[in-house]
Amino acid sequence: MATRLMFENSCEVGVFSKLTNAFCLVAIGGSESFYSTFEAELADVIPVVKTSIGGNRIIGRLCVGNKNGLLLPHTTTDQELQHLRNSLPDQVVVQRIEERLSALGNCIACNDHVALAHTDLDRETEEIIADVLGVEVFRQTIAGNILVGSYCSFSNRGGLVHPHTSIEDLDELSTLLQVPLVAGTVNRGSEVIGAGLTVNDWTAFCGSDTTATELSVIESVFKLREAQPNAVVDEMRKSLIDSYV
Amino acid sequence: MESSLKQKLFVCLLKGVVQADFVFFDPKPDDFHGVKILLQTYLDDTQWDLSGFVDLILAQTTVGTVVKIEGDDDDTPFAIVTALNLGRYKDHKCIKELKEFLLKVCQEKDVIRDLRLLMGEQAHDVGLLVSQRVVNLPPQLLPPLHDALFDEVSWATEDEPTAELRNSFRFKCYLLVSKIYKHKNANQKNNRNLIRRSGSDGGDGIVYIKPEDENFHKLSLWSFSFPMHTQQVETQEANYCLMGFVMAVETAKISTFRQQLQSLVVES
Repeated sequence: MATRLMFENSCEVGVFSKLTNAFCLVAIGGSESFYSTFEAELADVIPVVKTSIGGNRIIGRLCVGNKNGLLLPHTTTDQELQHLRNSLPDQVVVQRIEERLSALGNCIACNDHVALAHTDLDRETEEIIADVLGVEVFRQTIAGNILVGSYCSFSNRGGLVHPHTSIEDLDELSTLLQVPLVAGTVNRGSEVIGAGLTVNDWTAFCGSDTTATELSVIESVFKLREAQPNAVVDEMRKSLIDSYV
Repeated sequence: MESSLKQKLFVCLLKGVVQADFVFFDPKPDDFHGVKILLQTYLDDTQWDLSGFVDLILAQTTVGTVVKIEGDDDDTPFAIVTALNLGRYKDHKCIKELKEFLLKVCQEKDVIRDLRLLMGEQAHDVGLLVSQRVVNLPPQLLPPLHDALFDEVSWATEDEPTAELRNSFRFKCYLLVSKIYKHKNANQKNNRNLIRRSGSDGGDGIVYIKPEDENFHKLSLWSFSFPMHTQQVETQEANYCLMGFVMAVETAKISTFRQQLQSLVVES
């Protein structure tokens, strides 16, 4: 199921959070209801960790991760690094990298197997991504945009890309990523998919401006309707849906 | 979006002066995202039905102006100006939340009575004047922008299809929600939020983010300020803090305001 919410008055949920199959990061500040919405959906299954990166709240755009690891920009402070290492499961390798393009979340999009990267990313960074995140890295553009992390979002089950992506590009990307892809929008026509939503294999969070049509596309392409991480979570979700939508 | 912004900046650095033709448009549904960004901090960091508020503004095409740049591919709004009848829209969630917010932040006993009256019994005579813009919008645009607004209001009193709609634009008073920078020491006087309307400029320790607010303030029936949680960009003056600012201006004073605005821009 996809949940709609806001961070303060912003619908850019993907800016203030980062969701993977093994953990969820949420920005400090904003209201408690932002954090508690994630907690309510995820608490029993994966840890929800409040953090900042380099003192910033835009954590979703600064870091990139999956079930194997989390990559942080060089602006991350030692305390933040330690806090994340302490709070995340042991199998998640947390690493801070020296990359000039420090908004890693804007430059890289990934799931547990494949990653799409900004064309100007360092060779070294590409190797670290492959190593730490355990993925195959492809340098790509999306509808002519180099900020692949901003204009697409994909899980192990499906993906959503910039609305102006051509059919040929869609097919090519779909073959590379080995998941079905759909060109669409979030938050009432916003093309910045990565900023507007955050998703993993069983749930998604998007801004409250997202229309019912966009929501149904999201639930369909990410296969959220059939998704059941375990029976307990499913039970919990049913009783919570009324209060969000 | 990023690449065209970069191009504009590059041109700016090369030549120092950028030629821009601004165009005034009626609000339309496509302006949703741009206008929403402009109104992001309208009620401080309160979570309210901002999307509903933007929808309301864009639905009112007879009164309201969106300022854009000619030939801009992005179609980005640079400014929005409109007047919403508080009585006409009183049942909308966003208006209810706005009224609640203003009553909550008003700390002054004398003013709160007037505020409650204005938003309650007298709401059908009150226009919420919404005016938000990018920080660097050229001041030369302000007189035509305000003329456009007040002219549209007066045309609406004649052109709207129903009598009810025509009457809804016969505002007796405008309510404005804005922002100012106030000198920290100004608060240490007797009344915490009372703003002393002195004759000399700057004597009251207030820096007006929007220059026309000073004129509105001088002509206002009453006003009050309240502390804000959102912080603007780092100010050079560490002694000033950002505050919300609410004013009520009678329609009778508007023609004076329009005249003053013309001379304000000529001076600067």
